[in-house]
Amino acid sequence: MAPQLTLQAPLELPPQDVSDYLGRLWSGDQDQANGASTFSLVVWQPSWIEQHLVRLGRLDGPITGLERPELLQAARQATPACGLPPSTSPLAPELAWQLGQLPGEASADDLRGQHVDPAISRHQPRRLITLAPTLEGQKHLETLVAAYCPLPEEGPVTAVCGDVVVMRGGMGALEQGLAMVNPLIPAELPCWVWWNGALDEAPQLFEGLSQAPRRLIVDTAMGSPARALDVLCQRAASGQAISDLNWYRLLSWRENLAMVFDQPGRRDALAHVVQLDIDVQGHQPVQGLLMAAWIADRLGWTLEETGRAEGDGITARFRRGDGEMVQFRQMPVPVGEPSTHPGSLVGLRMVCKPEHRPPLCVILCGETGGCMRLEAGGMAQLELVEEVVVSTIESVQREVSRTLRGGHDSTNPLLAACVPLASRLLPR
Amino acid sequence: MTATLTNPLRVGLRQERVISPQCLVIFGASGDLTHRKLIPALFDLFRQRRLPSEFAVLGCARRPWSDEEFRQKMEVALAAKIADDPEAWSTFSSGLFYEPVDLQKQDDVVRLGKRLEQIDRQRATRSNRTFYLSVSPAFYGSGCRALAGAGLLADPKRSRVVIEKPFGRDYASAQELNRVVKSCGQENQIFRIDHYLGKETVQNILVMRFANTIFEPIWNRNYIDNVQITAAETVGVEERAGYYETSGALRDMVQNHLTQMLALTAMETPGRYDPEAIRNEKAKVLQAARLADEAEPWNCCVRGQYGPGGTTSDPLAGYRQEPGVDPNSTTETYVAMKVFIDNWRWQGVPFYVRTGKRMPKRLSEVVLTFKEAPVHLFDSSGGGNPGANQLILRIQPNEGADFRFEVKAPGSGMRSRPVDMDFSYDESFGEPSDEGYVRLLADAMLSDPTLFTRSDEVEAAWRLYTPLIELIEQQPWQLPVYPYEARTWGPAAADGLMARDGLLWRRP
Repeated sequence: MAPQLTLQAPLELPPQDVSDYLGRLWSGDQDQANGASTFSLVVWQPSWIEQHLVRLGRLDGPITGLERPELLQAARQATPACGLPPSTSPLAPELAWQLGQLPGEASADDLRGQHVDPAISRHQPRRLITLAPTLEGQKHLETLVAAYCPLPEEGPVTAVCGDVVVMRGGMGALEQGLAMVNPLIPAELPCWVWWNGALDEAPQLFEGLSQAPRRLIVDTAMGSPARALDVLCQRAASGQAISDLNWYRLLSWRENLAMVFDQPGRRDALAHVVQLDIDVQGHQPVQGLLMAAWIADRLGWTLEETGRAEGDGITARFRRGDGEMVQFRQMPVPVGEPSTHPGSLVGLRMVCKPEHRPPLCVILCGETGGCMRLEAGGMAQLELVEEVVVSTIESVQREVSRTLRGGHDSTNPLLAACVPLASRLLPR
Repeated sequence: MTATLTNPLRVGLRQERVISPQCLVIFGASGDLTHRKLIPALFDLFRQRRLPSEFAVLGCARRPWSDEEFRQKMEVALAAKIADDPEAWSTFSSGLFYEPVDLQKQDDVVRLGKRLEQIDRQRATRSNRTFYLSVSPAFYGSGCRALAGAGLLADPKRSRVVIEKPFGRDYASAQELNRVVKSCGQENQIFRIDHYLGKETVQNILVMRFANTIFEPIWNRNYIDNVQITAAETVGVEERAGYYETSGALRDMVQNHLTQMLALTAMETPGRYDPEAIRNEKAKVLQAARLADEAEPWNCCVRGQYGPGGTTSDPLAGYRQEPGVDPNSTTETYVAMKVFIDNWRWQGVPFYVRTGKRMPKRLSEVVLTFKEAPVHLFDSSGGGNPGANQLILRIQPNEGADFRFEVKAPGSGMRSRPVDMDFSYDESFGEPSDEGYVRLLADAMLSDPTLFTRSDEVEAAWRLYTPLIELIEQQPWQLPVYPYEARTWGPAAADGLMARDGLLWRRP
């Protein structure tokens, strides 16, 4: 499905007039006015890589903020030109930084916030507010407003409309404009804040936008691991609903691992895990740590110690409920065809030594990466279970759509339970 | 930690399809089904985090209850479940509301619309509604009309109606009800529920057939000799005498549950996993099905009624002695019949269908018996020829599948004996499946009609049994009700039905 544009050309208004204009738009004296009674969505949409690629002439405009194939392809092609290793994710912040060092003056229309992916528009958000920072840090604040009626692809048309508000400008201008965002969010409806960038950028804006009880959608694959895990910890502990797309991407890995132990005959082995190894793509460790923390939490392990391993790896020792120790090691590995998301899981190995039975070795392997490190050596005496985990490649908009479809006002309890442990696993 | 009872890694992984914000409106909320099945199923979904925070249940019935009274009554009914997780109940029950509504009264329906708008504002349920008609079948048509008249079904994307069984009493009444219902909304808004389709094992028939290449090439008249479909209950009529006296086993079990199992077993391969593709194939196979002898149905159908039985220490009353049953009742509590399917896949293969109350065991199964080997090289260790291969799909209990085949009996000779290759849900997954209503309620609220019966399926199912129904109503003496002792496998005449084809019912 192609992205949908707003039906009318957005109207540029002075920031101070936006609230009044929107109030008039949905006032009861207009017969056809029918604002969707759904939710509002605030999006932090920096799209740094897209902006740089357009500026450098490596990607045709307009700038949309959507995770489109052309963007990913251009980013992959730019990676070697920036002197980055081939296993660099096309959305990695280091790529954005490197692109920022290159000269270029090309320009294109900036339609961030006006191009709405159907995966999101189908939920008929009442108000979509996009904060779109520009590369030019001193740029003044522009505010655009448009009514927006998603048209169903089939069936009768029901005029349930929303509106979009775009705030575009340099970082300083956006910070100044933050005060106008709060009054624009309908108090009676749930509000999601999708922080579609690194959690360590624009902390003032993040704090201002992400107030409880707004529900946060973040992606801990982006930015500083420590900051990402700290935000997850703080927000989950405070009872605020926070969804992490990086955690959702673990679903197929968790499902595959659970499937191995669905057979009652193998359950006992879970009480006798002695070793857990995880390989992740590149140097972003958060997804691997969330996986390890989830396993540890579900199996009742406590963390004894954590440290750095050679080659930028992470080691740890857990204590099982019966007092025995579990060795954990997470290693970054290079991959030929990197996933869109930095730090994606590449492989997992779990070794169990149940009593009165041969040891069991479970290896889960991503379908695009190799598992040679995990498959290497010393497994002749083990019962080996090896599964390939199918990658579910979805655009980030579709991932967000799944969160919006059935939202909760609390954090997933499994995520909330494992995040503190993941945070402690990260050597500081 | 020693041996684990449940898989700790499995917890919380059944969340892949999350229901959109909405209000579920239950008509007949003061009835049994609401507190026995619907609210428990919703509470299960809530505890699985499959219900969004923007969710509400509006119970509707004639009784003048308040929201709080409704919550209290549900709390009493679900006490055992709530004890496991009182905090979850506290949150869940805050989304339970009640509105006294008589769908026959225009003012009530108008008030209902206003209450729903209020709940939309209060719970942000996005005007997205599922209406569940858990009312007397006599009110299905008028209930739909009332909802449509109030504009509550106008948006096909955000309103749907779930209709309980029985959908009609015969072909004509089902046609008429379909006509009324379809005049109120689009077909994809109508969810005719058959709780058998909510069972994992019934759905597994589809997966067994169409996810494995080994079965499909032999799933036809060239290899299959006959198919038996059984749904046996150990219980009698219990408190349902009033309803059962007007329905009997044919309407209560065969026309819906057993026919759905027949359809899933016999349907052609759909082009894709898509609600309409699947329902097209189910409808087509039911349209091709017929009683083995439509002109003289007594040749292919046996009716029975349980009499007294049990033991001296545990005597069981006969059907006619049950409270609320006419002492001269001729309602069947058992029915067995032979059906053919006139298509290329199944021409000439008999499908034997039976159901009964007060049987020795509670079980549902589909048994496919394959043709015998064309030449018998080996004798069976038990004497005679080796038995035919059988594939047994166990719907309940002990859910799973068995494949029975011959192997060499140990010893110096070359005799064969049958063995079973067994798949058990418990052994493989170790987790209890959700109640059928959990799956079906979730599917309805997700607007996924795959496991619901479409109008043409319902009509085809009724049409299949029309010769029997007409005979029972117009010339009941032609199809007598044979008595059988409680806790036996039905009347001897049912064995005769099989014996005429040189077969036996499988004794599970």
